[in-house]
Parts: sequence; structure tokens; C-alpha cells
Amino acid sequence: MRTRLQRWSLLLGATAVLALPMSLWAQLTQYDLNTRLGAESHIGNTTGHAKDAALPYRRFCVGCHGPLGDGNGENAPYMQPPMFQQPRDFQLGVFKCRSTPTGTLPTDQDLYDSITRGFDRSNMPQWNTLSKQERADLVAWVKHFSPRWANEKPGTPIVIPPEPEVTADRIKAGRDVFARVQCWKCHGVQGMANGPSASTLTDDLGRPIAAFNFTDGSRPKCGDTDQDVYRIFMTGLDGTPMPSFADNIKPEEAWDLVFYLRTFMQQKSKEKVLAKQLGLKPVDPNAPAPTQ
Amino acid sequence: MRKQYNSAALLFTVVFICGGALLLSRAVKAAGEGKITGTVKLDGVAPHMKGIDMSKDPVCVKAHATDPGHLETVVAGANGGLENVVLYISDWSGPATTSTTVPVFDQKNCMYTPHVLAMDVGQTFKVTTSDPTTHNIHPLPNPMTGNIPWNQSQPPNAAPVEKSWKAAEMIPVQCNIHPWMHGWFVVVKGPYATTDSNGSYTINNVPPGNYTVTAWQETYGTTVQKVTVAAGAAATADFTFKAK
Amino acid sequence: MSTLTRSRLGRLSLSTSFLTAALVLVFLVLSASQPASALPAFARKYGLRCSACHESWPMLNFFGQKFKDNGYQLMNDRDAPIWQNPGYWPVTFRITPIWHRVSAGKVEVDTYADGNPTGSTIQRVTSSGFDLSGLDFHTAGTLEKNISFYLLPSSDSTGAFHFEQVFVRLDNIFHSPWFNIKLGRFELDNLLSEKRILTLTGNGGIYQTYHFIPVGDGNIFGQIGDNQLGLEYMGHSVNDRTRVSAALVSSSDGNVNLSTGANSYTGYFTGSQAFDTGKLGVQRIGFYAMVGEAATYYLTQGGVPLGGSGVANKGFSREGFVGQFYFGPHVDLTVVTQHGSDNPWFGQGYGNAILSDGNGGTTATCSSPLPGCPFNNVPGTALPVGAQSPTWNGYTFEGHYVYSPQLIFIGRYEVEKMSQQANGAACTACTGGLGGGQSASNLGNISSYTIGFRYNPFMTSRAGLAWHNEYNWLHQDGTGPVIGLPYANINTSEVLLGLDFDF
Repeated sequence: MRTRLQRWSLLLGATAVLALPMSLWAQLTQYDLNTRLGAESHIGNTTGHAKDAALPYRRFCVGCHGPLGDGNGENAPYMQPPMFQQPRDFQLGVFKCRSTPTGTLPTDQDLYDSITRGFDRSNMPQWNTLSKQERADLVAWVKHFSPRWANEKPGTPIVIPPEPEVTADRIKAGRDVFARVQCWKCHGVQGMANGPSASTLTDDLGRPIAAFNFTDGSRPKCGDTDQDVYRIFMTGLDGTPMPSFADNIKPEEAWDLVFYLRTFMQQKSKEKVLAKQLGLKPVDPNAPAPTQ
Repeated sequence: MRKQYNSAALLFTVVFICGGALLLSRAVKAAGEGKITGTVKLDGVAPHMKGIDMSKDPVCVKAHATDPGHLETVVAGANGGLENVVLYISDWSGPATTSTTVPVFDQKNCMYTPHVLAMDVGQTFKVTTSDPTTHNIHPLPNPMTGNIPWNQSQPPNAAPVEKSWKAAEMIPVQCNIHPWMHGWFVVVKGPYATTDSNGSYTINNVPPGNYTVTAWQETYGTTVQKVTVAAGAAATADFTFKAK
Repeated sequence: MSTLTRSRLGRLSLSTSFLTAALVLVFLVLSASQPASALPAFARKYGLRCSACHESWPMLNFFGQKFKDNGYQLMNDRDAPIWQNPGYWPVTFRITPIWHRVSAGKVEVDTYADGNPTGSTIQRVTSSGFDLSGLDFHTAGTLEKNISFYLLPSSDSTGAFHFEQVFVRLDNIFHSPWFNIKLGRFELDNLLSEKRILTLTGNGGIYQTYHFIPVGDGNIFGQIGDNQLGLEYMGHSVNDRTRVSAALVSSSDGNVNLSTGANSYTGYFTGSQAFDTGKLGVQRIGFYAMVGEAATYYLTQGGVPLGGSGVANKGFSREGFVGQFYFGPHVDLTVVTQHGSDNPWFGQGYGNAILSDGNGGTTATCSSPLPGCPFNNVPGTALPVGAQSPTWNGYTFEGHYVYSPQLIFIGRYEVEKMSQQANGAACTACTGGLGGGQSASNLGNISSYTIGFRYNPFMTSRAGLAWHNEYNWLHQDGTGPVIGLPYANINTSEVLLGLDFDF
């Protein structure tokens, strides 16, 4: 039975530990940021300019993302993981939803899509009412927060082969991929985010984070089309425990896995109908991992 | 005619002597590189390394059926020698040395081997898996240094992952699936060495000069010493960390 | 136990319960002052600043309009109350203490000489002083995912409460943003919202175009700025660029308890489309149409009209265009046009025979032809010869200069022009207009100018405070106390300074 003093020191200690990496990492000052006000973005035919985005950022974004773009807005302390993830720290230049390989910068289009689509189950709204120009300007503003964009080019977007027809064989093959790379370790054998490693997951900054629960009607954070789901596990969600499987899943198999994952989700789909017809059973976690 | 012949010969001799001196001096330089050697000890009683509960993954439990896994934050030998300490020259101003060997960081029995992998800036290293269970290899550098975090899965029999780092940094490595797995990529500029199980180390290829050598241990942090390396000789620097 | 002990215990328990009550009160006050409760409800719930949804609060921008159209939801699967901190309470207060100076032109006042009345004269009356606007007590949000609500008890400056807005809305029926149903007492779907108006003076704090009633007209039910009781279907595209709505409301001007027509209803239809025009921003163009019927004959008992018995419905309509135009990030202009038309019976003063108390209820009724009472269209009444359908055209132009999310400048010009008076050329004994013969063609025309600015000294997601400054000047033709040529026009002006609190 801990004494109150011990409990409080533990809490303070934990807070200090959690706060310390964040304070050490995002240390750019307003002066540093002002050197990059010329940042630009290119989305289709529209060119966004960072200097036109200062006012929209202050209007829409600063409450969560903070004036220095480090995720320390006035409301950030009230977003408690794992229920609500904290706002993104743009100074680190690490982003979840990309079309580019892990460890590389997203494209301007990736950032534009993230702003437009918002993030389900988080406080990041869908900003699709803003004009395209305004969103392009905000993408440029997001880029001006991190020196990475001055030194690095975005990664090369992964190639997604055309989506094949959904067939029962593909769903079965998808189940085999799910078993081989052992997605169930975190996501659970029925996709309910209750795998053996789910309870101890933390993000890159040490904060608790939950695996995606396919079954509760939520939409995946990076979009809910089949292409979006494909991209998630073939590029990984940087900053989170979700790795990239690009080296371990071949592109044709990846589509099989996408179809299998659809059978977990609540939304009606051809995959669910076929899975029901097949009488598909969940993967057995105790069976030895099948080899490639 | 005789004058021309003489100036040509003179020119040739000058060039020969200078070239020779240059070649000789280079050989002299190579022969003059010394080393720094020593031991790193722990002063005091080593903390108890707790056993790890690997029940999240029955494959890991099976791999450790006879030899339970322990935390490796402080690995001290019988005579107090500290393993996994990296020694490097913190004020290295010489040319960047990037070795072409490809060190291997292996995931074996749900632990990282070696626990600490030291390497040069820009040196390619390989991450392999020898386990029949899926891991993900997730280094966590601070992106502000220029090292960018990445996260890749390694299912059983996966091909090795080859990467390198752009900046000097002590980078923690973890596996999200097996949260007890912790390791380090220690990226340094200039020559370096890692202590063995006796706490002994040797830093090779150190040109003569005065240096500050830093010893880094993941729990105890760093301690420094000034060392002078004479040409072709071995300087000694022993380090001690105080047990908390 | 002795009596003494018991009474001591009794007293002790009384003081204990008093102490407990005091402690509970202190706890409530303290918890109310924590960030997690008693603050601008939506900003607090989602962590967005006020400026994210409000161009300058309370006026909505397009993002805020989409949030409202979604049923006060962000659509992030975390809108239901179960995801909120248990200390969260969706309540917002708004109150505005002001100082204002009102100058009313052409008021008939008695004259005295040596303490004796000597008749009357017409002069300007000016008064000024500190004052209170009413108190609004907003509570709104979601009862569950896709079920939203709004409850707004509102008081006037004397503290008399009525329910300004009370509704429940079923959102995204069939998982589609095209199907939303609202039931209750609510503001009609006007893009330029009067309830979110940026001005506060008596004549500048409403839109003249939304409330114009020709002189002598008895139809009070066509006021599109008043909250109405009814049912509204509303649909919109996912990014809210396309919006449509159709509402069926009772022709009661929002008065409760079935006080007016027995069977009179009004339909209100809107539609609009927004366009992304690149650097200029998003432009929106739309239309609205109100078409309804209201009673002109109330059954009487002993000569007194009976509430809720109104029959002999006559028709009325209001329709127009709305444009919201943005010229870059700082300047925008909203234009509302109106063509209004009332049945000639309304023009002659028939219509609302039940006196409304202005707060959604009715006062003691009176029966015509007593002076000041609306006319009751009892069976056998004939429409006076020469009576016409009063029609008019109105225009509202409101421009904003948004220097920053914290400072907005407002300018508004409104004009209402009669195109056909209720008393036509053939009138000799008409009861509309100012009575008698033909009305002057500009009787009742209004022009109103309003300028002002609002400065929010701080902008967070916790509370709002605006320093409000406004000047309004309104001119109306022919409604001065002197009748006949040259008919009297009146000019009224008001200066208002205030602090608009929202927390």
C-alpha cells in the first residue's frame, strides 16, 4: 500500500519523465521558424505560401498545435492518451499518414489530404470547408516548422498496383498473410485491438497509444478507401508502434491482406459477405508462425 | 646544351627528394598511429538486473525455458568490469572515419544481440532476426539531430534491414511487440570501442595527439578523461562509474 | 436518549447539513472554475478556439456552419457525451452590460404653460444610460452520436425568461449528411443568422429585412428572423458546399400553447451552393422562400377573441436571394434580397387578433374595434374597396473587415421599399396603412445604416469577451405623428458601447 507521498512522487516522477523528452526535443524558437517563412507547397495546380497562412493557422490550428507548431497548444494538456492522442509536433517532421516509405518525409499531397480528411477518433477536424488555396497555404505553414524540409526531399511514394477483384481465395490468402506477419500480436485475432502486446504500446514520445480496433465502426485514421488501408501497412505510421511491412509483404499479397482486414470492419462490404460464406475462422495464435 | 642537361637533372632530383619525403612521411604517419586501451569498472555493488516476464509471447518464454532473460541496463562482470560501455573521442576533429564493415544487430531469443552497437556516422549496419516470432525494429532518435526515426517489421525469416545514421547520437532501440526489448545504436564520429565482458576496451587507429575520451554507459551517463597518445604507442585510460 | 441529547443532535445535524450544503456549493463553484466545465461549450469540448468556428463570435464561418449542420458534431466518432471528461458540462452564458444613447425623432409630447397643459408638440427625445441586455443561457451539443439538442432559456433585461430555442435533431439519418430532422422551436435556416448578429442596438440588433411589416399590416407571422415552432428537414454535402432545407412551422411566430391559428402553417425552403474560387476564397449563393397562411378570424366569446381558434387563413410569401462573397482573407460581403407580399386582408389590419406579449406568450386579449386592438375578421366583414396586396422589396448589405480573428469591423445598409401599398387609389375608407384614402407610395419605407466594431482582447478556447462599439441610424417614411402632407418621417439613432461576455 503506497503512502500518499509515494503516490504523488511517483506521479510527479512519471510526469517529469514524460515531459522531459518533449521539452528536449522540440526546441526551435520563433526566430528559427521565421527563417523559413518562404516555404511553399504544391498541390495539383495550386501553390501554397507559408506567409499567407499565419492568420488561418492562428484562427484554426493554434489552440491545439501551439504557436510554435510543437503540439503544445493551450488545449493539449486536456487531450489524454490513449483515448485522445496529443496534437502533432510539427517541429519533429514525423508524420503518420504518408504515401512514402518509413523514415521519409510525406509529400505535400499527403499533408493536404490529412488536413482535408481530419483524423477519426481524434480532435483533428475535417477541414474540407476551407478553400483549396487556404489548405495549400496551411500545408506550407506546417512545412515551415521543421528544418527537415530545407534539407531533405520527400520520399518517393510507394507504387500501389491496381486493385484486383475481391475473391474468396484472396481473402483466404489475406488471412495467411495476417498469420504470417503476426498482425494479431497487437490487433488481436479478430481485429479487436486486444492482442497480447496491445496493452503496453507506447508512441515515439513514450505516451500510451492504442492499436486500431477494426470492429468498433471507427474509420482508419489515414482514410478509409482500400488504397488508404494498403498504404497504412506498406508505409507504417511513423511516430507510432505500427511498422512498415513493405519489405515483408509483396504488393499482390498486400491487396489480399486489405480484403481480409475488411472482413473485420463493421461497414458492409463484399469481403464480409464472402467471409461469411466461407465460414472463415480467426487465426490461431498458438499455431507456429507459417513461413514465407 | 650542358646547362639544360644540368637544370633538368637538378629539377628531377628536387622532385625525387620531395616526392620521397612525402611518401616516407606518410609511411611515418601510418606507423605513428597509436591506440587507447583500458578498463571500465563499476565502483560499488552492481544493481540487481530483474528477470523479465516474457509471457506476452510463448515463443520467447520457450526460448528462455532454461536460461531466463534479464534486463541489461547494467551488465557487470565478477571483477566489477562493465560491459556495453562505449568509448569515443568526443573532441575528434580529424577526418570522418566511416568503416566499410557492416556490423550486425540481431534479434535473438527476444533480446537484442549485442545490447549496444557502436558505429560511425554514415556506416551501414544490418538488423537481422533469428527468432520464430515477429519483431518490429523501431529506433527512436531525436529527429532534431538529423537522424530520422523509422519502424519496420521483421517477421520470422525476414531479410535483414540495412540502414545508416546521419548524425552522432545515442539512439535507443525498442520493439513495440516485446516491450522489454531495449538496445542502443551509439553513433559516433572518429575512432571508438565497446567494452567486453571484462570491461576492457581498445580504441585503434588513433593518431598522436591530445584527446578527450568519453565513456558512455546507458544508466550512468558519461565520464571523461584527457588522454595523450604518442606515436605508435598505447595510452591507457581507465574509467570508473559510481554505482547508485 | 435524553431529549436534550436528541435536540443537540438535531441541531448538530442541521448545522452539519448546512455545512455540507455550503461545501457542495463551494465544490460546484470551484469545479465550475476549472477548465473542464462552465465555458464556451463547443470550444471546450473539442479544444478549438472560438475563431475556428466563428468568423468573429457569434457569427459563424463556413467551418462553424458545417459543425452546426452536422448536429454540433465534428464527425470524429468521439462526439457522443460518453467520450467527454465527466466534469464537462455543456453550458455557455452570454450577457452584455452596455451604455447606450437613444435618440428618437418626432415624438409627440405634451406642452405645459404655468403648470397647465397647453396641447402637444413634436420633438426629438434623447435618453442615455447604462443598461443590460438580456441573459442567454445556452446549452447544446449531443445527447448521443447523431442526436443533438439545443436548449436556450433567454431572459430580457428584467429577468423574465422564455425559451428562445428548444429543439432535438436527428442527424445523419441513414448515415448520410443529406438527412437531418429537427423538431422544436428554432431559428429558420438563414445563412445570415439574426441570432448570431454582430450588432446590438435596438434597430441595428435585428435585420430590418427579416422583420419588415407594412404600416397597419396585421400579419406578424412572416418574420423570418424570429424563432419558429415546427419541423425542419435539412441536408448537406459532406463538405457542406451544398445545403438544402425545408421546414414546416406553425404560423404562430413561435408563440407556444396553440395560441393563434387553429390550422395555419408556413413552409420555409432554402438552398445554396458554395464555390471554391481559389485565392478569393469560398463564395456561396443561395435562395430562400417562405410561403404560408395565417388566420384572420378568431372566434370570440363575449366579444373577446379566443386563443387558438383562428380560422379564415390568408396567404403570404417572402422570397429572396442570399450571397456570401469573400474577397481574400480579410473582406467579405453578405447580400440578402427580399420580395414580400401579404394578402390584402392582412394589409387592411386583419391578422393577429391575439395580442402577443413579445415573449412567446399572449397578453390579455382585447376585442376590436377598440383602439390599439388588431382587427378580427368576423364573418360578414367585407374587404374595403381599393384594398391591395401590400408588396415590397428589401435589401440587406452587410460587409465585414476582419483585421484578425480578434478584431472585426462591421458596416450594414438596409433598405425596405414598398412597391404596392395596402391602400390603393380606390380607397376611401380603408383600414390599412394610416387609414382612410390612398397611402403615399413610400409609406413605411425604411433605410437603416449601422457601423461598428468588436474587439476581443483575448482569444482562447475557454471564454470570450468582446468590446463592442456601434452606431445605428434608421429612417422611416410617413410614420411620424403628423399625418397628411407633408407626411412625417422619423429618424432614430443609437450609439452603444458594451462588453459582450461569453463564458
